[in-house]
Amino acid sequence: MKILRTYPKRLLWTIYFVGLAVSLILDFVWLRLNALHYHFPFQYFPQFFAIFGVFGCILLILIAKGMGYFIVKDEDYYEKKSRK
Amino acid sequence: MTGWIHPGVVVFLGGLLIPFIKWRRIRLAYFLGLPLVGLTILVLTSIGIFGSVPSWPEALYKWRIPFLQYSLVLGKIDKMSMIFAYIYLIAAFCMNIYALRVKNHWEHVAAMAYAGSALGAIFAGDFFTLFFFLETMSWAPVFLLWFRGTQKSMGAGVRYALWHHFSGACILAGIVIHLNKTGSIDLVHLPWGWGGEFLGYNLMLLGFIINSATTPFHSWLSDTYSEATPSGSIYMTAFTTKTAIYCLIRTFSGVPLLMWMGAIQAVFALFLAVLENDGRRLCSYHIISQIGYMVAAVGIGTEMAINGAISHALCHIIYNALLYMGAGCVLVVVGTAKFNELGGLYKYMPISFWLYMVGGFSISGFPLFNGFISKVMTIEAAELIHNAPIYLLLEGATVGTFLHTGLKLPWNMWLQGKDEPPPTIRAKLKDSAVNTPVNMLIGMGILAFLCIFMGVYPKVLYDRLPYAVEFIPFTTTRVFSIMQMFIFTFMGFWLLRKLVQGYPTYTLDTDWPFRMAGRKVIWFCEKPLMTFAQFVDGKVMGVADFLVWFSRNPALALHIKKEEAKLKVKRFMMSPKRAEEHAQVLVEKRKSYPGELPKLTLGASLVLILLAFSLYLILYLLIK
Repeated sequence: MKILRTYPKRLLWTIYFVGLAVSLILDFVWLRLNALHYHFPFQYFPQFFAIFGVFGCILLILIAKGMGYFIVKDEDYYEKKSRK
Repeated sequence: MTGWIHPGVVVFLGGLLIPFIKWRRIRLAYFLGLPLVGLTILVLTSIGIFGSVPSWPEALYKWRIPFLQYSLVLGKIDKMSMIFAYIYLIAAFCMNIYALRVKNHWEHVAAMAYAGSALGAIFAGDFFTLFFFLETMSWAPVFLLWFRGTQKSMGAGVRYALWHHFSGACILAGIVIHLNKTGSIDLVHLPWGWGGEFLGYNLMLLGFIINSATTPFHSWLSDTYSEATPSGSIYMTAFTTKTAIYCLIRTFSGVPLLMWMGAIQAVFALFLAVLENDGRRLCSYHIISQIGYMVAAVGIGTEMAINGAISHALCHIIYNALLYMGAGCVLVVVGTAKFNELGGLYKYMPISFWLYMVGGFSISGFPLFNGFISKVMTIEAAELIHNAPIYLLLEGATVGTFLHTGLKLPWNMWLQGKDEPPPTIRAKLKDSAVNTPVNMLIGMGILAFLCIFMGVYPKVLYDRLPYAVEFIPFTTTRVFSIMQMFIFTFMGFWLLRKLVQGYPTYTLDTDWPFRMAGRKVIWFCEKPLMTFAQFVDGKVMGVADFLVWFSRNPALALHIKKEEAKLKVKRFMMSPKRAEEHAQVLVEKRKSYPGELPKLTLGASLVLILLAFSLYLILYLLIK
């Protein structure tokens, strides 16, 4: 029961960093060995999916936050409008 | 044996009997048993008891009912309807387990009517039957919304009904135009194009697009699903949109417009999801985003894409129900699913967390979870037609999906780096690892098992798809690229995790113009239109009052009116004192009105009657 209730923080971080290192090395090695088969030329760019992942994520959040400037309102936006 | 029993009709009519069962335990057992009965029928159909199911695109036709000069087909059984029906019933069974403790058994009735009509639409072999079941299907969720009983859910129910009746009207108009043109109501693939001769088909397409919550008509989904009862919303995630996707595959596969709409939608919904504070609304945006994949696949329209669309729709039912159940059980246990009020729940609901994470990994498309085996099919289809923008949009949506459902939602709900939830939330929790009701955990557990089972052994799904599949999802390239992408998505999330935490806000959606226009219409009705109506009403009532007054004693009334007119003219010629006296006399007369009625002799009455008749005669002759 106690194991269930403690979050395996350290373990997950270890797995994460090992995975990160392995993925960087594998991409480097496999691209050299021509072991990866993609459909578009840009996918062969070194570490393409790493760049796509991190920048896609950051761009998504930042653009959304920019949109939020216009479309984020109070929680009772429509209720307030109808009370007027 | 050639007869067949329609599983949808069994579930639908069986559902209506639920309230008549008095004993609670028997009622619940019956409620759980209904989808199992449906599943039994499906298994019997599969093994050929009712005649063998032919290979795609041939179908087995059952339950033909004559209607006017047409023949309705309630049972068109082919590979596609069978696989949809299987997943619908399996999902309905898990959802029933999840919803077992709901006190209001009318909610169970609505849920079964919903599942039953969805099955009816799946097996429909002609447009009339399809339309009928789509309409019944649009009513059941309205009740699932209204049963929540809050002011917001009441409004959401009305909006849901409005959207779906509009789409229903579009579909019906399309069907009628199609029927007029071809004289046939068979459910077939339809032509599509721009221009007047395709008006009917475009209307029908619009109807299906609204039903499947395709951008820009997606807002009804995020607006309403998050307002339904915790267990009611689970049913809503599965049936309506997936049935619309099914209809699109049947009628409009290969329409290039859909490909672009779907791919844009898959990303657009994610932007709105970043700003979302409510867990269930966030999951709603992910339904919309995932539907984007299916719509795009339908638009691509190759065999691989259609297989991808079907398998993604089916996997989506399973994992999305699981996600909604995860968010729903937090709502049930602590009474809120808003990120700004939660965090640190892990210690109290770890099992729900991990079961939710299975759904989160599935929707993101982790290898060995069921989202992967269906998503890569769609993405591969986009790669095979060498369309880089579509590919990049869909791949980008994968990043965003993992960011939200795999990271943002669990982080904000269960973790947020805190060991304990906020005190108000803590007060509602027992000091134990199992705060979630057990039936909910069982429902989630079965779905989580299915997610992993289908992910590890995709053959179970692939073998039942309409087109033959020679597709191996687990290639080094795919597994590696997607894992690397996720690892780095996590990095992006961790850097910006403060930006995606919840704030008590509401994000406007594409329904804003409609709701504002609706407000204006209501304002117009309440203010200018009502004022005008009151004015007209006052005038008409004035005339009516006068006529009533006049008819009480026409002779005296005429006399009074005559005297009044006389007084008005004479007033200038007589002294004010006399005028005052005259006026006084008139007032007296008015007061005593109608007074004693004049007594007419028989002869005078006859003269009056004859006069009236001769007036009629003159009128008649004039008109002639």
